[in-house]
Amino acid sequence: MDRKLLKVLVAIALLLIGAWIYVYQTSQPGVVSLRFDTVVGEEPLALNETRYPNPGGAGLFRVRDFQFYLSNIVLHGKKKDYRVPDSYHLARFDNASGRYQLDLPGVPPDAYSAITFSIGIDDAANSSIASVGDLDPNSRMAWNWEVGYKFVLFEGALLDGDTVQPLVYHVGFSENRKILRFDLPESFAPGSPEPLSFTVDVMALFTGKVTIDMAALPNVKFDRADARSIAENYGEMVSLATTTGDAQ
Amino acid sequence: MNRSVALLMLCGLLLAAAAVGFLRYIEPRPTPLQGFTAPFVFGKFNVPADNPLTQEGVQLGRRLFYDKRLSGDNSVSCSTCHIQQLAFTDGKARAVGISGNPLAFNSMSLANLLWGAQRFFWDGRAATLEEQALIPIQGADEMAQDLNELIGELKADEAYPDLFRRAYGKISAENIARALASFERTLVSADSRYDQYLRGEVKLTAEEELGRKLFMAHPDVKVSLRGANCIDCHSQFLTSGFSTGFDGFSNNGLDTEEMLRPGLQLVTGQLADRGRLKAPTLRNIALTAPYMHDGRFTTLEQVLDHYNEGIRYSETLSPLIMEADNQPRDTISMRFSLNLNEEEKHAIIAFLHTLTDRRFITEEKFSNPFEAGD
Repeated sequence: MDRKLLKVLVAIALLLIGAWIYVYQTSQPGVVSLRFDTVVGEEPLALNETRYPNPGGAGLFRVRDFQFYLSNIVLHGKKKDYRVPDSYHLARFDNASGRYQLDLPGVPPDAYSAITFSIGIDDAANSSIASVGDLDPNSRMAWNWEVGYKFVLFEGALLDGDTVQPLVYHVGFSENRKILRFDLPESFAPGSPEPLSFTVDVMALFTGKVTIDMAALPNVKFDRADARSIAENYGEMVSLATTTGDAQ
Repeated sequence: MNRSVALLMLCGLLLAAAAVGFLRYIEPRPTPLQGFTAPFVFGKFNVPADNPLTQEGVQLGRRLFYDKRLSGDNSVSCSTCHIQQLAFTDGKARAVGISGNPLAFNSMSLANLLWGAQRFFWDGRAATLEEQALIPIQGADEMAQDLNELIGELKADEAYPDLFRRAYGKISAENIARALASFERTLVSADSRYDQYLRGEVKLTAEEELGRKLFMAHPDVKVSLRGANCIDCHSQFLTSGFSTGFDGFSNNGLDTEEMLRPGLQLVTGQLADRGRLKAPTLRNIALTAPYMHDGRFTTLEQVLDHYNEGIRYSETLSPLIMEADNQPRDTISMRFSLNLNEEEKHAIIAFLHTLTDRRFITEEKFSNPFEAGD
């Protein structure tokens, strides 16, 4: 009798400890990792290789530098929205892995259904010279303090026969900030070892909504209409890939 | 019995206290450097955690910087090629050390080293200032010193053992490098007319202001914006190269493919980095002639002429330099020109003169301590 009671008590104790551990773990803030891989159409982007066809005309192009600002990341939760502090992140891909991974620590536990972020930065940050997050007025992403930041930087060259045409797409201006929203898979939770995996299609800069002939428009800098065209396009360049944990 | 135990314990305590005292004595406790400031617009900077700025470290570094014993035959010091009055350059096309053979490169100015590209030498081969500091000391054509010999010389000196003990503990190559790097990090130039203008203290002349605007703009014919695209490589406030990654290294069209130096390719092994060299700070540029990594230009006029009409094509030439033009570009010719007019070129040179900082080149704290007598 006594022994039976003891067994029951031990079982209850174990259950309680287990439940406590579960509750404790799921109530702790966790890391959310975002991963961005660049592709050109279907294949991974290879920097400095002259192999991509000019979408609107003749010639092949190469990409020498491609980077952009991500900002204002918000995770939309059941209880409340989590706004990432100092959320200005420079996504760049000229590293060994060829990808950009962003780890956001301290995300409170919640059931998150969606994520929003911007390509580009908000007007307040764009007209400030404070170094917040990855914003740096002394970096190559800054034009000068009277103009603000480049949101998306693409530099390369278009080769057609013997001619080499430099390609310079520096797109900024506050009106060209694009806010993107993605629904999250149900399995998503802070602290998950699997990052949220996005693909960034570099070709979409020139094919998204407006198809661009690089020979006719080899550079975009301060012309508002041209900048808007590229911005319309980059608004479509990011997509959320299915995470491995949520594979179908 | 009890008394002897108590006595033993007391002895033990005293010994322990003495040991702690002794350890404290040999363990240096340098004073954090007071009053080290830099303008807000320079932005963030990082001092390595294993070499914080301390009064003792900086003082020692200054002394070493000016000490000729750092060279093999005690004939040259760091300050031989880095002269304060010339913003820590030497006025020569290419530096000359002990051997008398000119080096491959022009002596770089030592100003605002905490900002800009955080790799050192024109080709970026040193990853830290500490690493950089020991290379010229040992270079056969530079200071040709054996580090062990140097350590011996410093140990035999009457002042250095105590200075090292206070700053770092012992005399070692690592601590020599730390001290030199610390002193160099304090070489902040932030009182030029441009700085005074940024602080709202002075107005630039009309010509300087035109030059500033051209410096700060990448030209865009489509919106009638004229520019000299200096800012594409030299950041707006620092006027140095960019600090992130290898962004502070560019191929600025000095040479054709055949003549191109490896540059950053030596560091990364990437063909795409061939010919990319460090964009230096333009602070005090009017004092640091001759110009470019090999000192090929003797005047700022020649530098402007190069960017305006002397660009030579190679595979890795900066696309921003290729593309920058103040007239509609002839895309077929493969000739590159900024197409600035004479007035604009003069204005840019006038702006470059506003980067001269007289306080920097006369600052007592940066000067030769053996002459100052402290």
